[in-house]
Amino acid sequence: MSANQRIELPQGTLDLLILQTLVLEPQHGWAISERVQQISSDVLCIQQGSLYPALHRLERRGWIKARWGVSENNRRAKYYELTKSGRRQLEAEKDAWVKLTAAMAQVLGTA
Amino acid sequence: MLRDVIFRLRSLLRRGRVEAELDDELRFHFEQQVEKHIRSGLTHAEAVRRARLFFGGMDQVKEECRDARGVQLLETLLHDVRYGLRMLRQKPTFTLVAVLTLALGVGANTAIFSIVNAVLLRSLQFPEPGRLVRIYFNNPGTGMHGVLYSVPELEDLRRSGVFEYVTGAERGSIDLTGGAEVQRLEMVTANPNYFSMLGVTPQIGRLFGPQDDTPGFAPSAVISDSLWRHKFGGDPNILGRTIRLDNDPYEIAGVLPPGFRHPGRSQSHDVEVWLASGFRAASDPEPVRSARSFPGSLGRLKRGITIQHAQARLTAMAAEIRRDFPADYPVQARWTIEIRPLQEDLVGRARPMLLVLFGAVLLIVLIVSLNIANLLLARASGRQQEMAVRSALGASRERIVTQMLTESVLLSFFGGACGIAMAFGTLQFILHFVPPSIPRLSEVNIDWAVLAFALLISLLTGLLFGLAPALHAVRSTLSSGMREGAGGSGYSVKTGQLRDSLIVSELALAVVLMIGAGLLVRTLQDLLQENPGFNPTQVVTASVNLPFPNDPKNDPYRTVAKQTTFYRELGRRLNALPGVELAGFSSNLPASVNGFSFTLGIEDRPSNSGDDLRARDILVSPDYFKVMQAPLVRGRVFTETDEDEKPRVAIVDESTARRYWPGRNSLGRRIRMGQGAWMTIVGVVKDIKQDGLDMDGVPHVYVPMYQEWDVSPGYVFRDFCIALRTPLRKSALEPEIRHQVASVDPKLPVYDVASMNELLDRSVASRRFSAQLVGAFAGVALLLAAIGIYGVLAYMVGQRSREIGLRVALGATREDILKLIFRKGAVLAGAGVAAGMILSALAASMMASVLYGVRPHDPAIFLAVPVLLLAVAVLASYLPARRATKVDPLVALREA
Repeated sequence: MSANQRIELPQGTLDLLILQTLVLEPQHGWAISERVQQISSDVLCIQQGSLYPALHRLERRGWIKARWGVSENNRRAKYYELTKSGRRQLEAEKDAWVKLTAAMAQVLGTA
Repeated sequence: MLRDVIFRLRSLLRRGRVEAELDDELRFHFEQQVEKHIRSGLTHAEAVRRARLFFGGMDQVKEECRDARGVQLLETLLHDVRYGLRMLRQKPTFTLVAVLTLALGVGANTAIFSIVNAVLLRSLQFPEPGRLVRIYFNNPGTGMHGVLYSVPELEDLRRSGVFEYVTGAERGSIDLTGGAEVQRLEMVTANPNYFSMLGVTPQIGRLFGPQDDTPGFAPSAVISDSLWRHKFGGDPNILGRTIRLDNDPYEIAGVLPPGFRHPGRSQSHDVEVWLASGFRAASDPEPVRSARSFPGSLGRLKRGITIQHAQARLTAMAAEIRRDFPADYPVQARWTIEIRPLQEDLVGRARPMLLVLFGAVLLIVLIVSLNIANLLLARASGRQQEMAVRSALGASRERIVTQMLTESVLLSFFGGACGIAMAFGTLQFILHFVPPSIPRLSEVNIDWAVLAFALLISLLTGLLFGLAPALHAVRSTLSSGMREGAGGSGYSVKTGQLRDSLIVSELALAVVLMIGAGLLVRTLQDLLQENPGFNPTQVVTASVNLPFPNDPKNDPYRTVAKQTTFYRELGRRLNALPGVELAGFSSNLPASVNGFSFTLGIEDRPSNSGDDLRARDILVSPDYFKVMQAPLVRGRVFTETDEDEKPRVAIVDESTARRYWPGRNSLGRRIRMGQGAWMTIVGVVKDIKQDGLDMDGVPHVYVPMYQEWDVSPGYVFRDFCIALRTPLRKSALEPEIRHQVASVDPKLPVYDVASMNELLDRSVASRRFSAQLVGAFAGVALLLAAIGIYGVLAYMVGQRSREIGLRVALGATREDILKLIFRKGAVLAGAGVAAGMILSALAASMMASVLYGVRPHDPAIFLAVPVLLLAVAVLASYLPARRATKVDPLVALREA
């Protein structure tokens, strides 16, 4: 896997990715970034430099909340989980994203 | 929104914890990453290196996380506050002066506003106070406002359909006997629906209701909380106890809650006891329309009816009544009904004076804040270098302005806090000086509205005086700041202009305040020099109340003959007192509580002339005019033989005589008051300032105390005053007076022992108060103005010392230098005075209603104030000017 196979995250998609990753279960920051990378077959890679500010921003908006827990390897880790308003936000953003990509595909003639 | 704030606050307040958590979180991530690399076969050192590389700058991530948490803004503010506090601590003298002057300004504002708030702004403390009105009956045709009314007229009001309640309510006083000492209580007699109208519930017991509806007085009394506590020790078993009021027994039915006050113009004391009455005698079940003997009535409008609507209905109704009963309503009187919102009616007279005081304190706080702006600006110029360095290091203009504003708001906060504390601590003391003639004073306190106002004033002043240095900081650009700082000499032209305009505004406002104070002081002086129409020195007075029981059997003063015996006996005893030259009696002393005025009837004069025919009558004993040394102009004074059953006589004052018999002899003419008997005029006295020094008042008619007073049927004078001509002080005489009154009748209360001069003084108390207060403020303003001018010039001399040195080196003389500085001072003062005169001309017109004798644009004051201010400006310029002449050209040039 070389760096040029990855693509930069478009503006505003990071929040969506984080929220989506947290749908199933609470996760800590590292797991979130691993998971995104994994599911996207290594195409998407979140920089730590943007992951943590994003997590704190989402927490401040009340879409996710944090609590301290114990990780798989028995370490203290900060877990984030979706709140109710976070779930609503996710639905809304997903919707918007689907519309956007469909429209983009139409315009670009790839649909 | 709220969650956001809480989140930010947690981030800020528990900063240590949040930081530690952030550390932990990032370290966990880092270690996970290292482990992952090791698992993929790297050495530990290589794994750490890669993880670090991947992670980027740890500190930057943290900073961004803090940003994301929204800590930054608050943290900057905290930083600014800490920095500001340090700056203030560094200049303790400046800080102290600024905080103290601000505290004075804010404190004065808080105190005066607390009075304005309680008296003018706050609604009356009754449910739905907007519906409460006072009802007046007027005879505009004869110039009579607030005439007495009769029971049928009160019934008319009830039928009018605009009122939910109408109640007659009459102020009076009554003797409470049975204790060790007779006590005189303020009393209200009202219809039983009085309390329902006001919407009050008792503390204990019951208030009046339909069961008290009897023709005469109901045998129940309601008492105030203060009487209950002070006289009856707060006894919970007080209900049902019998007390004797003017010899009649009453059963205590209920006690009012502590905050309740009768909504009347406050006189000497609050009302302590309420009696219920049907305002008609049991023997006279159907009172006639013309039996008008009741003074006051209140009403509560029906919900949804406006004052205007109600007034229109009442005016129409009055016209119908005049038409239906022509015999009871002479056409020329044009009898009518008027309602006024109760609140307005209560406080209306105090309004102009309070507004003037309020304006004065606002001016003073403006002057204080301009003064501080000037001081701060001087400091800001000194800090130019600091600002330049800061902006060179990357501080944005916004940051510098925020920093400067934070400092001034801090200053204003401290000043404001001290001011509010001062107002809290001294309010009771200040209220002591506020004349009791201002209504609702007992309601004055510092509530949330006052606190909010004080905070607002402090904040506004902080922003106001902070704006100047902040603007200055923005203007001083990076390069010029560094350069000027390096040179250390420039008197920046822009700063100079800003400072000049500040000082000119300050002077202008000081002029306004000084002219206002001048007008008020002149008014007071004129009043004190006013000839009261008699000689008030060496006169001691006291008030006594004769009881007026409902049951004639309990009434020792039933007839005028019986009263005459009493007066003669008391007069004999008082005259026998050592040190008393002469004793007299009167129903109303000059400058004391007003009585009622009546329509003056003049024989042989058509009464339909539409003139103002008001006159007030005053009962006096034969020796009264001699005691008062009131000059007799014509005729004779009363004698002991002007008594009951003898021909009725009267004495009028000069203005009455001049008004109705101009150029003719008024002696021997016959007049009458209201519906009373005809009296022959036997004498004319000089006008006496009967209603207070500041009132020209209505004409006065004096009638002998020993003749029947029959102006208003059923109404008998029972309150009277003693006047003694004596060189003794009142404190020496008071026990003697009490003793002599008690020796004639031990059941009579003696109260309000005062010298005649004190009474006159009391009548101008509110004017004295406002003159002194505004005068003191004007003094402070003058002082601040002087400091301001001194500050500007001293600063200018300091900044321009190089230029001055150069001028001296080039041959300027000492006079030239003095002229330079004085000219600057004179220009500033001149501009300030000119602006101030224009403002004063506007402000003075608004003050016309609180002036007496002085014209609002009194030339003497408009001349004296500028001269005074210019003189002070010259004095204030002297020190800096002298220092300028001491500038050594060699030193100045070398330093530069």
